[in-house]
Amino acid sequence: MSLLEIRDLEVSFNTPDGVVRAVRGLSFDLDRGKTLAIVGESGSGKSVSTQSLTGLSRGAHVTGSATFDGIDLLTADEHQLRGIRGARIGMIFQDPLSSLHPYYRVGWQIVEMIRAHDRSVSKRAARDRAAQLLSMVGIPHAKDRIGDFPHQFSGGMRQRVMIAMAMSVEPDLLIADEPTTALDVTVQAQVLAVMRKLQDEMGTAIILITHDLGVVAEMSDEIVVMYAGQVMERASRRDLFYRHHHPYTEGLLASLPAQGGKGTRLSPIKGTPPSSINPPDRCPFAPRCPYAFDKCWRENPLPRVVFGDLSHQSACWLSTDEATRREERARMVASKLSAEEPA
Amino acid sequence: MTGTTTAQSQDNTGSDEPLLRLRGVKKHFPVQSSALIRGEQEYVHAVDGVDLDVRRGETLGLVGETGCGKSTLARCIARLYDLTEGTIELDGRDISTLSRREMRPLRREIQMIFQDPYGSLNPRRRVGSIIGEPFAIHDIGSRRERKKQVQELMELVGLNPEHYNRFPADFSGGQRQRIGAARALALKPKMLVCDEPVSALDVSIQAQLINLLADLQDELGLTYVFITHDLSVVRHISDRIAVMYLGKVMEVAPVEELFETSRHPYTRALLSALPVPDPDLADRREQIILVGDMPTPVHPPSGCRFHTRCPKAQPDCAEVVPPLEKAKDDDSADHLTACLYPMDPDERLSRARATVADSEIVADDSALGGVS
Repeated sequence: MSLLEIRDLEVSFNTPDGVVRAVRGLSFDLDRGKTLAIVGESGSGKSVSTQSLTGLSRGAHVTGSATFDGIDLLTADEHQLRGIRGARIGMIFQDPLSSLHPYYRVGWQIVEMIRAHDRSVSKRAARDRAAQLLSMVGIPHAKDRIGDFPHQFSGGMRQRVMIAMAMSVEPDLLIADEPTTALDVTVQAQVLAVMRKLQDEMGTAIILITHDLGVVAEMSDEIVVMYAGQVMERASRRDLFYRHHHPYTEGLLASLPAQGGKGTRLSPIKGTPPSSINPPDRCPFAPRCPYAFDKCWRENPLPRVVFGDLSHQSACWLSTDEATRREERARMVASKLSAEEPA
Repeated sequence: MTGTTTAQSQDNTGSDEPLLRLRGVKKHFPVQSSALIRGEQEYVHAVDGVDLDVRRGETLGLVGETGCGKSTLARCIARLYDLTEGTIELDGRDISTLSRREMRPLRREIQMIFQDPYGSLNPRRRVGSIIGEPFAIHDIGSRRERKKQVQELMELVGLNPEHYNRFPADFSGGQRQRIGAARALALKPKMLVCDEPVSALDVSIQAQLINLLADLQDELGLTYVFITHDLSVVRHISDRIAVMYLGKVMEVAPVEELFETSRHPYTRALLSALPVPDPDLADRREQIILVGDMPTPVHPPSGCRFHTRCPKAQPDCAEVVPPLEKAKDDDSADHLTACLYPMDPDERLSRARATVADSEIVADDSALGGVS
């Protein structure tokens, strides 16, 4: 049994403009010590889906099941959830300044975290543990700095404090929601290295939510690509980058400016993401998809196994045969090229 | 002025005269703190002696981390800030000491696009009047002519001209950046200073805007100074790249030369930290993880500013300010590096050992291990 098993998760919100269907049918398994990345653009539902797991999405209507070590998180009562949230499922968010309390010393906040989950730990032991954790995440002179306030740390250090705090109770699962988005690349490299190191030492499973495909390529074992609240594709790290099936994944990768230098043109996905309010019953990507055909406009595809590989799923009506799919892509690239040539 | 000799050698031919020439540019901001009570005014050395040329029709990428001074330098170039020291020449004319009034006609030549598509547009004004504002300021054309010009501009940047009367709130982030671009292009500037124009956008929208900026450059012969912390974007769009650290230029080189044979250890570390969207490459490459944080620009380190974090720093790095000059014989004349011990392409920074006094080292991150 996997540590976390999510089945058909649906999250919706009632708003004055209509029902926002933020997540539509998310399923995945996550084992201990593994990292699952959820990728998607703004509004794709990647953050909401994990917030609903820990009961943080207030006012949401959540259905489906999310079994964490035998307990269904969606039906657990507040008392049960309190024992899990923080203690067994740690969370870190994009903005470390608003997640740390500005009035309290950093060391006190970590001590509080440790003692909130285990009153038997003495204050002194918790304090020592806090200093030890801060030095583990690479805060220099950790012993002297546990008396400092959050504003006395730089952005990267604050994020490391958040990681130290989340890891202080050795959770089984860490949900990291855009943990390095606000950081510079060299600091990002430091923070990601800390996360990897702690994962190795403690066997923590990580759900990494990000829009940065570079971070995904470095950190993840498995990847879920979301669009308009739906899973477009789910694959192992190498398959997603080198053998992707879904046109949206293809479009995302083609939008990246990494491949060519000046003078080469990027191939952005045309148009803009759809609204999640009362979505029509068809493939949400159809209006922006260069491959879309009549079926895509009639029926919303469910994720299905592609390329004969059980770990690889794609929600797309295109052929699931690898050779055929590759031919389709080659034809598309050729027609794009000829369209750009002046006639 | 210090260090002005090195960069000048590249512009001795008249026709190659750069559009913009910065020499010894400094911008210091006073710190408001208790230091005033003690009677000594302290300064943030945001930009601290930059020599750069921007050539006609090129894109110069300016990269660096938060606090390196790249945005301050951009605002100095656009003359939104007065310089503390140094000169900026536009078309051979020194604009750094011009008064507001004298500067006014020249403002048409250099325009800016800002990072925040939400904060840089007045939410209570209609798009037509935002884009037409430069015409009003410079008193160009009648109302009717302006409307026509604004609609042409909207068309140019890929906005629907019929949306002339809408408010910024009716547009998405990507479209707002297009509005910002249209406004910047209104007066047909020679140069566009783009401060992180695509950083707030999702990748698919970011790609659309990057293509737009490239098209506009081709069509209108624009010169860009493109500021970003995103190295993959800057690699895609630039002809040359300047790397900044703590208010100084560490290295400047043509794009591919910088990515393939960077000489400065900081450039090397910066490039290696960039996550690559390619799993095999990510597994294979050597990543240099820098130790500690960037020092404060109020008291920048002596000598080379990077020496407190440099894996191969030597004792004299703390004393000598390295000039920005050609580092090795096989570098092109455009490739300048400010380092006493420039690197060879096959040199492994992870094997380097710094020999700086212990007191100089900012942090002991040994728990992290230097390399992954």
